[in-house]
Amino acid sequence: MHKDTGASCHERKVSQGLYQKFSYVYSLLLTQSTETDPLNFVFQQLLVSKAELKVLCDYYFDGKGKAFRPMIVILMARACNVHSNKEGVLLPAQRSIAMISEMIHTASLVHDDVIDDSDTRRGKNTINKVWGERKAILAGDFILSAASMALARIGNNTVVSVLSQVIEDLVRGEFMQLGSKENENERFKHYLEKTFKKTASLIANSCKAVSILVNSDPEVHEIAYQYGRNVGIAFQLVDDILDFTSCANLLGKPSAADLKLGLATGPVLFACQQFPELHAMIMRRFSSDGDVDRAWQYVLKSDGVEQTNYLAQHYCQEAIRQISRLRPSTERDALIQLTELVLRRDK
Amino acid sequence: MAWRSRLSYIGWRHLSIFSNPSPSNWTKVVSDAEKIVGYPTSFMSLRCLLSDELSNVAMHVRKLVGTKHPLLNTARGFVYDSRNNLQMRGLIVLLMSKAAGPCPSTSDPIHDSMVSGIYPSQRNLAEITELIHTAFLVHRGIVNLKEWTNSDGPLKDMQFGNKMAVLSGDFLLANACTGLAQLNDTKVVELISSAIGDVVQGIYHESSTSAEEGSLTVASWEDQTFLSHGALLAKSCQAAMKLARHGNESQNLAFQYGKHLALGHKLNSDLHTFVKSGSEPAVFSLDSAPVVFHRQIVGPERWRHQLKQVQNMARQIDYTKLRGLIKTERGVSQALDLCSYHGNKALEAMKCFPPSEARSALENMACAVTKF
Repeated sequence: MHKDTGASCHERKVSQGLYQKFSYVYSLLLTQSTETDPLNFVFQQLLVSKAELKVLCDYYFDGKGKAFRPMIVILMARACNVHSNKEGVLLPAQRSIAMISEMIHTASLVHDDVIDDSDTRRGKNTINKVWGERKAILAGDFILSAASMALARIGNNTVVSVLSQVIEDLVRGEFMQLGSKENENERFKHYLEKTFKKTASLIANSCKAVSILVNSDPEVHEIAYQYGRNVGIAFQLVDDILDFTSCANLLGKPSAADLKLGLATGPVLFACQQFPELHAMIMRRFSSDGDVDRAWQYVLKSDGVEQTNYLAQHYCQEAIRQISRLRPSTERDALIQLTELVLRRDK
Repeated sequence: MAWRSRLSYIGWRHLSIFSNPSPSNWTKVVSDAEKIVGYPTSFMSLRCLLSDELSNVAMHVRKLVGTKHPLLNTARGFVYDSRNNLQMRGLIVLLMSKAAGPCPSTSDPIHDSMVSGIYPSQRNLAEITELIHTAFLVHRGIVNLKEWTNSDGPLKDMQFGNKMAVLSGDFLLANACTGLAQLNDTKVVELISSAIGDVVQGIYHESSTSAEEGSLTVASWEDQTFLSHGALLAKSCQAAMKLARHGNESQNLAFQYGKHLALGHKLNSDLHTFVKSGSEPAVFSLDSAPVVFHRQIVGPERWRHQLKQVQNMARQIDYTKLRGLIKTERGVSQALDLCSYHGNKALEAMKCFPPSEARSALENMACAVTKF
């Protein structure tokens, strides 16, 4: 069941407009000169050419993704540049960061698909389904190494540290999903921490990195970081909602996927308050017959989705509060508008 | 199904990659070397191994006991290795650091003091090298689910084993990345990241079906083997020099030592089954050096004919028979010559460093690698 958000025709056009503008920016990224396109540059350095490996690594860089992360990073970079009196022009190193963050994200997706044994992603068969698990893992490792090389080439130790932290957070976040917490209160805290590590850390630290490249004021770094962190968490909360409310073909991946993986996300955790039957199901990770369906019904009957949405709005408001501390610019305003996009997305 | 025998061969062989020179000699070489660098290198990465995440994995890996997932072998080999072969790469990096001596630059000195003649950054690098090596041992043990058959046991065991293997390998790599960042040297980060890319390329071809017949030629063997076995050690040795601000010449020598030692060692490992004629049934890769040389000598037609001779109705190869056939030609002796060549090149590289205990230890290793 697809909930209509009540967005007016005009607002939808604005969202679409933003999407288009930034798909364009993203495609610019992909066709950059070899100096700033890390993946291509790295491949040119190959001693022994591995055509198939290259195919795998390029598989998801086809411009069909949402390009959400590079979009934020580039906007943040420009907003910080204006704030720092450098006009809105993007530094090559900042453009690199945008590409690097997308590469790190892609590498983690490729591995996640093996871990979750997923069949499809973004409307295509997953790499593991087409080429097997071994090659998929190696491709992910390769993308990561390319990202790491590109990062090092920027030549800034702080930036390297900031983004390396993301790599560690991504893995720790994945580990956090292995276990279930007994205590209800701990569960929500655990969920938010996992959400930070798996989703928000990349955005927060990429934003921080581009701010570091143009400004030495730690307060500016903090603003960028906090914006990224809050938007990132909101983004994931909405993603978790969509897992319950969207139709399978709109998302490009099947819904109730989290439940099927045994994961209890925001809507479920909130629904627990009204339907205590969910506790036992959470602890056994929805593994009994009929658990997934029953849990889904409970969630839709409860106000779990509403509460999660409210929480996402709260994070977006905090993001807006932070970013408003920067000097006005078109980019800063776009970042504010972007939080609306996050809340209103239907895919 | 070929992957299982191939995987178990690869898994076992690469576990103790420096295990093949005669045990008592090698063990002595290692323990002498460890004294020189200040402590047993098997303590390295202890911090990582005792982390919550890996303790969690260990708990889950116990569930794999009784299944056929390769991760179990990797884990077992990590805990129990009777020949002190854990963390040999790290040991070599430490020895190289010591052999090269302190930072030569007065205008750009290093503020941390050396312990047992090695800078803290170099010790950290040694640990990082081991983390990367181990991460790939683990990632190589991932199973292609499409090739699963009933005789491998329940599918969900393979899926679970894969999940654990991906996560633990990723964890080790992530720790390597943050460790690299803490070295505060972006050139070193770049170098080691490129080594990671090299290893991936090197082992990528192991996953291709062409490996079932053997796809390497003599010309491509060295390039391929450098990527999969030499690049990490060579570039880590070079990086250790960079960290102490040694010049390009030292960096190149260190690189050469790492490269030739690793290649010599791989040859030693490949040759073992052909040189030590015991009663053990043979298991070897068709891309191992003696076989690659043999293929070049007999030519593609005769090779295919020989393969048919040793295959049964189900196209399974009798490796013991094949080994016998290979030993009748000159492939083995050519591989032996190449092994000596690389051992000597490694020795040559070390001669350019000032004499020291550390240098001698590295020379002893280069010699040990040519012995059977």
